[in-house]
Amino acid sequence: MLFNSLEFAVFLPLVVGLYFCLPPRYRTPMLLIASCIFYMAFIPVYILILFVTITIDYIAGIYIERTNGPTRRAWLIGSIISTCAVLFVFKYFDFFTGNFVGLANLIGWQLPKPVVNIILPIGLSFHTFQSLSYVVEVYRGRQKPEYNFIIYATYVMFFPQLVAGPIERPQNLLHQFYEKHDFDYERVTAGLKRMAWGFFKKLVIADRLALYVNDVYADPRNFNGLQLSIATVFFAYQIYCDFSGYSDIAIGGAQILGFKLMENFKNPYHARSIPEFWRRWHISLSTWFRDYVYIPVGGSQSGIRRWLLAVMITFAVSGLWHGANWTYVAWGVLNGFYLLVGTATKGWRDRVFGLVGLHRETFLRQTIMLVSTFVLTLLGWIVFRARNMEDAWYVVTHFAQDWDFHQIGTEQFLLRQLPVAVACIILLEMAQLLHGKVSVPSLLNRLPIAPRWALYAGFVMLVVMFGIYQKTQFIYFQF
Amino acid sequence: MPLSPQIERERDGAPTSPGNALASAPPLEPVAELRGKKSVTQRRGRLSARSGLIRIFCFFGLIVILLFGLNAMINSGLRRVTTSQFGVSNKIVQGKINADIVISGSSRALTHYDPRIIERITGWRTFNIGLNGSQTDMQLARLKAYLKHNKKPKLLVQNLDLYSFLTSHEIYEPAQYVPYLSEQSIYAGVRRVYPDAWKWKYLPLYGFAVEDMRFSWMMGLKALAGIQPREDHFDGYQPRDTSWTGDFEKFRANNRNGVVVKTEAQGLRDFKELLSLCARRGIPVLVVYSPEYYEMQAITRNRKEVLEKANQIAAHFGFPLWDYSESPISRDRSNFYNSQHLNRSGASAFSADFARRLVQAGLVGGQDRP
Repeated sequence: MLFNSLEFAVFLPLVVGLYFCLPPRYRTPMLLIASCIFYMAFIPVYILILFVTITIDYIAGIYIERTNGPTRRAWLIGSIISTCAVLFVFKYFDFFTGNFVGLANLIGWQLPKPVVNIILPIGLSFHTFQSLSYVVEVYRGRQKPEYNFIIYATYVMFFPQLVAGPIERPQNLLHQFYEKHDFDYERVTAGLKRMAWGFFKKLVIADRLALYVNDVYADPRNFNGLQLSIATVFFAYQIYCDFSGYSDIAIGGAQILGFKLMENFKNPYHARSIPEFWRRWHISLSTWFRDYVYIPVGGSQSGIRRWLLAVMITFAVSGLWHGANWTYVAWGVLNGFYLLVGTATKGWRDRVFGLVGLHRETFLRQTIMLVSTFVLTLLGWIVFRARNMEDAWYVVTHFAQDWDFHQIGTEQFLLRQLPVAVACIILLEMAQLLHGKVSVPSLLNRLPIAPRWALYAGFVMLVVMFGIYQKTQFIYFQF
Repeated sequence: MPLSPQIERERDGAPTSPGNALASAPPLEPVAELRGKKSVTQRRGRLSARSGLIRIFCFFGLIVILLFGLNAMINSGLRRVTTSQFGVSNKIVQGKINADIVISGSSRALTHYDPRIIERITGWRTFNIGLNGSQTDMQLARLKAYLKHNKKPKLLVQNLDLYSFLTSHEIYEPAQYVPYLSEQSIYAGVRRVYPDAWKWKYLPLYGFAVEDMRFSWMMGLKALAGIQPREDHFDGYQPRDTSWTGDFEKFRANNRNGVVVKTEAQGLRDFKELLSLCARRGIPVLVVYSPEYYEMQAITRNRKEVLEKANQIAAHFGFPLWDYSESPISRDRSNFYNSQHLNRSGASAFSADFARRLVQAGLVGGQDRP
């Protein structure tokens, strides 16, 4: 079930109503049933995949606590392998076999490529990672195993964050299923406002920009440099608004029910360096990779070589997590490269800035850093969005050429959409800047009820009238 | 992935390390306790929850009122539009046309027949009700609406194209129909193509906000304020001041073996129903295949069969078919902006030629007016 569907508009109030009407002990089972219905709205039979991984990790968690030494380790490895195997079969089988056959052909072995037409279960990478974090945390002794199967299953399947995160840690989410959540007006309305903001990002900005981006990136060779540049900037905002919009809706939806999910984005395009960007972008995944890949591989504590290796491995794996395509791997590697070069040249850059009198806190230096970080990010998004490396290379080598200001629109994105798109991006950035200085919700709460409701109602109508409702999936669902 | 040493240090010293988070988790409340007698605070909470719920319901009630109110305003505004495609539709349902010659068809009819030229040459009041992006099914729906509100024409010109025997598989520019869904024929036509179109009629703003990408609703609000859209339909005719786009070359390159145009049984039935309706109402019909760029004709492999089928059906009802495939207009690229559509100058030449032929054939009275 998509958040941006009529079905969800009926589903959520029903679930919320039932949740608060039911006695507390029935609430978690009800949430589990609701989550199953939510997931089965995509491809019903795929619920079995979730059932299998949930059962394996549930049992593994218990046995990891009960056993010691090699047996304990075996339970951990068994759980990780079986969970990852599901991910591999559904997401990477075609990719790896295709590349293997390609390599074999290069050295003269004529192997047929096995054809497996499997539809990727929605959000597989997200709930797989959430499940993995549970067993690892139990193994590390930082989380007690969950003996209540219903609660554990609801932890993995909790519908607001089931298909695209935030990827929760057991320490943050599991205990919340034992808490009693009363209907609290302030909290419920805060959740509703958060959801409204998420819908604005998704429906008004992301889906509108998608019309342009999809047209241009479907065949970049049909478009001039200006269109390629606009499409790339639009994609940066599309993917941000799409994913952070989803996170806002998920966090807001959970908040209505009384659950607190972790934040996933903190104005990433306001970052002044690549490391800062990664502290602001998809935080739940970044911290997951930090905790379960980067640090185990060596982190920064085992010397420079090990650190270099850890960074590159983590970013390459992170790229691959996003999709079974070399473009994603290249995007990951490119970001790893940015981070390494950025760290290596930090002292040199400080000296250059110092020589021209631009000290750390000067506005101009901050602006230069912000713009250069954004441009580097854009280059990464080109690789990420392109269908293949040839297209990516074409965009990179042509976006500065042949700018034709008379030819800006595309087939799907009529020119009249452009002012709306640009105005929405400006509104987004202004709201984010304002929110960085003062709390917008508390500012609004201070208003008398009539102007406050007028503002809220106006905002809802703005989303209704300017939204794009083509039942487009959230980009990150495919991951 | 914040993987700099700094981040790692931050993480190591973070107060929200997993162990701490577990320790700081609130004590688990036994379920039995939750079901026990409610304290004063809980009762107060219930009261506040009740008033909170009432507030939330009131707010959503306000939103529903706004949705219905705005929907009514937009519909009312669009029905007041006197220009553009909405102006044409409004004239149809308000019975303000009552023309002697009515031109019906798809975008080819819309852009090929200039009623002002035809009227000047024939002396008969002419109007073009051609519908952009439509097949015969939606053209029939519009013709029924026309005949319901206007006096029957002395001549109906039904323009053909290669796709006349196909049914609509989607509704092109849904907003152009939304204000007129109270018209039985239009609603039935739209619903046959898109069964979910009931949402356009009954869910407020659905047809404008969800289905329309052209902000037609803004046009409705502007019209309420007395601002009319720019006129681009002249007695229903929409001239296109566009030069050759080059789309045909791409099309031809993608179809090196030529193309075969499909026909559907339902599409044929729709065409027959249109002619049968006119026959029953005593409206003479002239079926016309208006100019099509000759290079496109050459790559359509079953063109002859399609035209032959049209000819047979028209002949069955006793209506003539005029085919402009061999017209000199069809051979001159400067008359077209793509293979199917004439530009303004091509349409002017064709309209004049067509009107003269009408007079010569004795189908209309000839009163060439300045």
